[in-house]
Amino acid sequence: MKAAEAIVTLASLTRGPRPFSFENREAEEVLNVALALLVELGVAFDRIDRLERLLAERTGISLDDLRATDYDGAAGAERQAARDALMARVLRIALDARVPSDGRG
Amino acid sequence: MKVRSVQHEMLPETTVDDRSRQAAVVSLRRLLNTQVRPRNVELYEREGRPAWERRHGRAPETAEEIRAAFFESRRYRFWSATHRAAQEMIWIAAGEPVFRDLERLEATAERLASSPERRGGLELAPAGYVPPGEVADVDIHLQPGGYAMTRSARDVACGALYENGGNVFAFGQGLGKADSKAGAVIRHLEGARPGLKPRRILDLGCSAGGAACHYAAYYPDAEVHAVDIGEAMLRYAHARAESLDVRVFFHQMNAADLRFRDGEFDLVVSHNLLHEIGRDNRRAMMREAFRVCEPGGLVVHQDVPTRFEPTPVRQVERAWDTRFNGEAHWSTYSGDDLLADMGAAGFPPEALEETRLDKVAGPGGWYLVLGRKPG
Ligand SMILES: C[S@@+](CC[C@H](N)C(=O)[O-])C[C@H]1O[C@@H](n2cnc3c(N)ncnc32)[C@H](O)[C@@H]1O
Repeated sequence: MKAAEAIVTLASLTRGPRPFSFENREAEEVLNVALALLVELGVAFDRIDRLERLLAERTGISLDDLRATDYDGAAGAERQAARDALMARVLRIALDARVPSDGRG
Repeated sequence: MKVRSVQHEMLPETTVDDRSRQAAVVSLRRLLNTQVRPRNVELYEREGRPAWERRHGRAPETAEEIRAAFFESRRYRFWSATHRAAQEMIWIAAGEPVFRDLERLEATAERLASSPERRGGLELAPAGYVPPGEVADVDIHLQPGGYAMTRSARDVACGALYENGGNVFAFGQGLGKADSKAGAVIRHLEGARPGLKPRRILDLGCSAGGAACHYAAYYPDAEVHAVDIGEAMLRYAHARAESLDVRVFFHQMNAADLRFRDGEFDLVVSHNLLHEIGRDNRRAMMREAFRVCEPGGLVVHQDVPTRFEPTPVRQVERAWDTRFNGEAHWSTYSGDDLLADMGAAGFPPEALEETRLDKVAGPGGWYLVLGRKPG
């Protein structure tokens, strides 16, 4: 079974009610998404760490030096631009020009 | 044998990312358990109870009222929602590799169970058997599909989920690889009865067979039998035991209605069954354990230490699992007089002992009730 199918299968096998604790169920659902992303971030950090160690081993640059490498100049500016774009992507909702309205009524 | 640390063929293949994911869930749970949950009672006193009192003009009294007062605290609600999410993520993180690898696991189970070198066995229930709904119909501690989920005659997913989810859970509780409920019980029994050498052991509510395998490995001359309600759980447990090369005979049975003869065993144990079985079945199970125990033999039920919570507020805090973790029988377990139930099962008062056991490794302890059958 492929990974996505395994996850969908697991989710579909669950039974019973799903009691929520927040005053607002939708907010709690968003919390669940955030926590799952936190776990995935942990996975990504572990991967970066593995790659750094491998790189240090292969290049002979010490792990500390590798991690302490700070880019300035053109590379630094490129990183900053990428960071700015990331923030804009994630906080898109805060930038949206539309006025919120209750769509349920 | 350290049951949690052993490798065997019934474990799913995991990638480095799977293990990272499980480790992240363990970290999250460890943070919640050691830094966040311990503040719940203080939050109740500081935020929950005062808010409830303002709303009702008096102090909360019943367990229901105390429970509602906890939820007046915003930070308690945050813990509750996060703890629930973390518990659900255990099953996703542990279960994804299980389902990815399920075909191989099923084939491996088939090979181990039909091998001429097999040492134990699996006996399914006769036609017409229905697993007790009070357990089978609930996703106890949110395991998807519950303890009796069986989707085909080759299925082992339930047992694989139980073992792999259990490991992620235990590490998040701060229990290491060396933890073992059977180990704690054996240590206690040996202290009480030096030289004890059981010949026939019965493990009630065995799940994936962790404890049963521990007994079989520790007492290699004993014949070990183990009982649970679900077919796929037991098919997994049997294959796992064969892969570990220990001899255990698994039976699909209701522990409240055993198909064994009177006095067949000299040691009858249960591990974490008392809190996962309804009251009537628990009492019947205790009577059955007494019946199948031989005169002079021992019956030992080990379980979680929630029965020792000192105040109603702390009891309610612990009882979170009843509603949020599918632990349908948690509160009945914590509140009932189990010594009296053991007495009603046949043990005279002087043959009974109720105590708190230390864990073999890690913080906390266990509840234990032990009976010696006269004779
Ligand atoms: C928490 S598990 C304990 C597992 C195992 N003894 C261990 O220590 O890891 C509780 C088990 O009790 C089983 N159980 C509940 N009611 C039962 C009954 N009436 N007869 C047999 N088993 C039962 C459940 O199916 C479940 O597998």
